[in-house]
Amino acid sequence: MSSTPRKRPASDALVAGAVVAILVALVVAVFLTGAGNSLYPPAAATTQGRDIRGLYDIVFALAIGIFLLVEGLIVWSVIRYRRRPGDIELPAQTHGNNVAEIVWTVVPTAIVLFLFVISWQSLSRVDAISAKPDIRIHAIAGQFQWQFEYLDANGTKVATQLAPAYDTNTGAGGMAVPVGRSVQVTLDSPDVIHAFYVPRFLFKRDVVPGQTNRFEFTVEPSEAGQVFRGQCAELCGIGHRAMLLSVIALTPADYDAWLQGLIEKSNATPEPLPSGTVLNVTAEGVKFDTAALEVPAPPGITHDVDIRDGGGAVLAAKDTIDGGTSTNYSYEPMQAGTYTFFCSIHSNMTGTLTVK
Amino acid sequence: MATHALNPAASTYARGGLYEWLATTDHKKIGIMYVVNSMLFFLVGGVLALVVRTELATPGIQFLADERVYNEMFTMHATLMIFVFIIPMLAGLGNYAVPLQIGAPDMAFPRINALSFWMLPLAGILLISSFFTGGAAAAGWTSYPPLSGEGPLNSPGSGQDLWIVSLILIGTSSILGAINFLVTIFKMRAPGMTLFRMPIMVWTILVTSVLVLMATPVITSALVMLFIDRNLGGHFFDPFAGGSAVLYQNIFWFYSHPAVYVMVLPAMGVISEVLPVFSRKPLFGYRAFVFATAGIGALGFSVWAHHMFTTGAVFLPFFALLTFMIAIPTGVKMFNWVFTLFRGQLTFSTPLIFALGFLTMFLIGGINGAFSAAVPVDFALHDTYWVVAHLHYVLFGGSVFGVFAGIYYWFPKMTGRMLDEGLGKIQFVLMFVGFNLTFFPMHMLGLAGMPRRIADYAGDAGWNEWNIAATVGGFMIAASMLPFLWNVFISLRNGKVAGDDPWEGNTLEWATSSPPPPYNFDSLPEIRSERPLFDARHGQTAH
Amino acid sequence: MTADSHALTTAEHTPIAGLAHDARGGISNPILGMLLFLTSEVMFFAGLFAAYFNTRAANKPWPPTEFEHILNPFSLILVATVILVASSFTCQMAIWAIRRNDRRGFIRNIGVTFVLGVIFLLMQVYDYSLLFDEGMTLGSGQFGTTYYTLTGFHGAHVFGGVIMLGVVLYRGMSGQFSARHHDAVEAASLYWHFVDIVWILLFSILYFL
Ligand code: HEA
Ligand code: HEA
Ligand code: CUA
Ligand SMILES: [Cu+2]
Repeated sequence: MSSTPRKRPASDALVAGAVVAILVALVVAVFLTGAGNSLYPPAAATTQGRDIRGLYDIVFALAIGIFLLVEGLIVWSVIRYRRRPGDIELPAQTHGNNVAEIVWTVVPTAIVLFLFVISWQSLSRVDAISAKPDIRIHAIAGQFQWQFEYLDANGTKVATQLAPAYDTNTGAGGMAVPVGRSVQVTLDSPDVIHAFYVPRFLFKRDVVPGQTNRFEFTVEPSEAGQVFRGQCAELCGIGHRAMLLSVIALTPADYDAWLQGLIEKSNATPEPLPSGTVLNVTAEGVKFDTAALEVPAPPGITHDVDIRDGGGAVLAAKDTIDGGTSTNYSYEPMQAGTYTFFCSIHSNMTGTLTVK
Repeated sequence: MATHALNPAASTYARGGLYEWLATTDHKKIGIMYVVNSMLFFLVGGVLALVVRTELATPGIQFLADERVYNEMFTMHATLMIFVFIIPMLAGLGNYAVPLQIGAPDMAFPRINALSFWMLPLAGILLISSFFTGGAAAAGWTSYPPLSGEGPLNSPGSGQDLWIVSLILIGTSSILGAINFLVTIFKMRAPGMTLFRMPIMVWTILVTSVLVLMATPVITSALVMLFIDRNLGGHFFDPFAGGSAVLYQNIFWFYSHPAVYVMVLPAMGVISEVLPVFSRKPLFGYRAFVFATAGIGALGFSVWAHHMFTTGAVFLPFFALLTFMIAIPTGVKMFNWVFTLFRGQLTFSTPLIFALGFLTMFLIGGINGAFSAAVPVDFALHDTYWVVAHLHYVLFGGSVFGVFAGIYYWFPKMTGRMLDEGLGKIQFVLMFVGFNLTFFPMHMLGLAGMPRRIADYAGDAGWNEWNIAATVGGFMIAASMLPFLWNVFISLRNGKVAGDDPWEGNTLEWATSSPPPPYNFDSLPEIRSERPLFDARHGQTAH
Repeated sequence: MTADSHALTTAEHTPIAGLAHDARGGISNPILGMLLFLTSEVMFFAGLFAAYFNTRAANKPWPPTEFEHILNPFSLILVATVILVASSFTCQMAIWAIRRNDRRGFIRNIGVTFVLGVIFLLMQVYDYSLLFDEGMTLGSGQFGTTYYTLTGFHGAHVFGGVIMLGVVLYRGMSGQFSARHHDAVEAASLYWHFVDIVWILLFSILYFL
């Protein structure tokens, strides 16, 4: 050691300590006054969600602790050890300290192992799947609509909900579930990846084509009567942000009535699958101006018939219509040639149009 | 303590014409071109981010044509930022610093070095050109199939193909660069420069290069398969013909998780150069630091599926455990940095201020990343704005602040001129405040359930205030770039002359003139520790 | 490397001359560069192989019955394999020759290697044409996709290797290599062996596993 650092006034340490203390106090105040509430997820509506919330609270508390410790050290060093005009001699040239290294390896390891263990335990509860759930729902996510099929205990479909989002004006739409009952959802996609996400469940699960995912939840009885918003959480194309859904929590009695209504409605309309429809139109003559198309799909799922030329450019983009109804579309006259027309909502609904 | 006059008088560049820059194989010029090129694409990527922020400021689709354009905006924003800005920027700083810091005359393969560089502007221009050829890629920077596949609702048109081709180009550039770095570091160190005397910057570039070498070819394979699926009728990722959509994700993240360390380790290297110099102390725990860097690199290969916790197709406990473990070596670094400051004599020059910004914000970004390692918590956070907050805290708060620390630190060496301290501090304040105003509220948005990658949201969802804050902050960050650009402009013309060693540096680059002559050194000081210049200045006894 | 190198730094200011090339002997820069490059190539093929195994596990039966017959290893493909493996030996003989400073032996062996490589490529093209005739394309299900991608990328690497060999041959014929100076040859041969090993792996996995 060629140098001894200049003795620093004790007041330096006091100032630095005071600044750190004020910072800590500020953070504590944020939480005590409730201003920190936005740093917590919303109150969980399901048993599983509450479990996740419990875990979040622990992780969060540790995170705040670690942050305050490290940031406090930084702030303290920055204030305490600024270079003064009198600092000509070098400070002590400390190269390291093995004990310190061990401490800050071992302590975080312990924290991390603890976090791992509790999150694994929580995971096994949150992710549990029972063989005989009370309610089974098959959710199909396609570009860009949800569809919920209610299944009986054998897995046979009894009714289909085609309107995924709850409409506050009409009271129609949404996926109703009874509170206090276990609901198992199986997920399928006919096109790209989507994700089932309801913020108040603190939960999401991807809908992967070619792979059936499932998850289970039980809505807390106190939530009966609530409507929870949800939406697709995996980028799935231009309609991604419009893939909304709602989950309606009902008392078991209300739920039974609701399902009965849905069953009747489902039986009333014939219900072909909306996808896979191939439209075929041939118009004679270069003067092709109208085509009447009937879209054989259940209500709730909208379609349109747009036209694309051989090069892929869209020539006509039409308004969407509700499935089950019929509409006349008029198109501008076209050059002779081959065109494709397609439904801009459903990628697999395409057809060839030959103009002679 | 007067500094030794270590070298003959500063010989400056013969201010060569444009051709000399275009044809150069000098690592210093190539390094500077990397930095300038990356900075340009940072501005482009930043403008796209501002478009995103403007659209999101309030509910409704206000000024973009439709959602497709929005998707193009954030996809290209992230692609440019990651592949054409941050990775090349760090490679550029490494290119400039590594040969100087190990006392080498140049990189091992100077011409390959020039080739690696020139692939980057080419790829960047290809990417941007896709806006004018029928729409850019719009499937997110992750480009998951089937969405990134064909089909009118997925990714029709050439944008996605151009995206694939440019990424393969950039990947090739990175791989060649990594080989160059590794050979340079292994073979061209000056006598006395043992591995454990290398500056930490060199160590981080070494580990980064290993990551690039092992991981980048893997994403190339994924991109090639995606290309085959799109254009040659292949079915790798086509779930309707026996392929697997999740397969792509596994391969993609096998690369892209290690890649996030490619995007931060060199910035950590910069910080590890800056903190000791400006606190007049050696880096605390040099060896621990080296092992932690290597440990991060190794662990980085076994955590990729933490991006796929909600796919229902990965073994959750394994990836959760390893993801948590990554916090340990990173924590070691964090504490070593803090204890480098501790009991030092801190001079608050701009490089140090940016380095302190790095410490604070990387701390937040690391910790909020660890939230996602708790799998059930990630079920809530995944694909929400929480993740957007995380990635910007590590990538911007970490890497970009590290980059600016590096630019302020090495600018005198690169140009012979100092950057203006006052403007530097203005930039820092604007950037720091703007950054936190933009990205801290995203935690709240994520918790409140706002998914990422949406062009619009309901006005009554409770997200309005935080979104406005984020947009204002975004423009503040943009504003902070103006003093910086101005600073570079005026400092180049009449900034303070730097001299060889304006900061009392520790490492060899400060032993030569500013800017250094071709082939860098006439002579080298003796190398007996990781701080040869410190030794030359203060004598060995100062240890 | 650590303690010894002190010996080189006796004065405070070490002359820098001689630093440009490594003063410590050992592996040369181009060869180290090639080894590192091959590491990245290994990872590239690892990605493709991973995809192959994943696909194969998910699709039963494998190979699909309609294409079963093309996976008969005792056919043209075996001849091609023998040729490629043989070329690795001739390549190594060329290395040994140039290390002995036997330039004629070197040129002869590299020439043979080059020709064998070209023959392999021609056979692969012929094989592809047969498969096309049978109607097997890249789009023929998972099998077609993986088969053509794996063999195609290997073929592309053989093609690259043949070009390297051609350059080495040309430079060798103009007398540029000697026992002391032939890093390019060593590098090209490393690459060629690598291509050969990949083929052996590919052949065993596609046709036997
Ligand atoms: C520079 C880039 C960078 C860096 C360094 C990191 C670092 C880390 N990341 Fe991050 N990450 C990204 C870039 C980065 N990430 C990006 C771009 C995405 C989004 C990709 C996309 O989907 O678009 C992402 C997404 C992402 C996810 C997926 C989230 C989701 O989509 O659901 C996860 C999940 O585990 C994760 C975890 C981590 C962890 C644990 C670290 C750790 O390395 C952090 C470790 C550091 C600390 C923890 C702080 C210091 C430590 C201490 C002070 C010790 C004490 C601490 C403890 C005991 C906890 N990251
Ligand atoms: C290094 C990486 C990096 C950087 C630096 C940034 C910087 C910024 N990012 Fe970025 N971002 C990502 C990487 C990065 N981002 C990634 C990986 C994603 C995920 C994408 C995905 O989901 O696929 C993402 C996504 C993302 C989103 C989410 C989009 C969505 O999910 O819908 C948002 C939203 O606000 C955002 C905002 C910003 C902002 C405001 C900045 C600001 O910091 C930008 C600041 C602005 C500038 C720097 C411009 C300055 C320009 C001028 C001053 C003009 C001067 C011009 C001339 C002189 C010519 N980013
Ligand atoms: Cu469906 Cu996003
Ligand atoms: Cu990751």
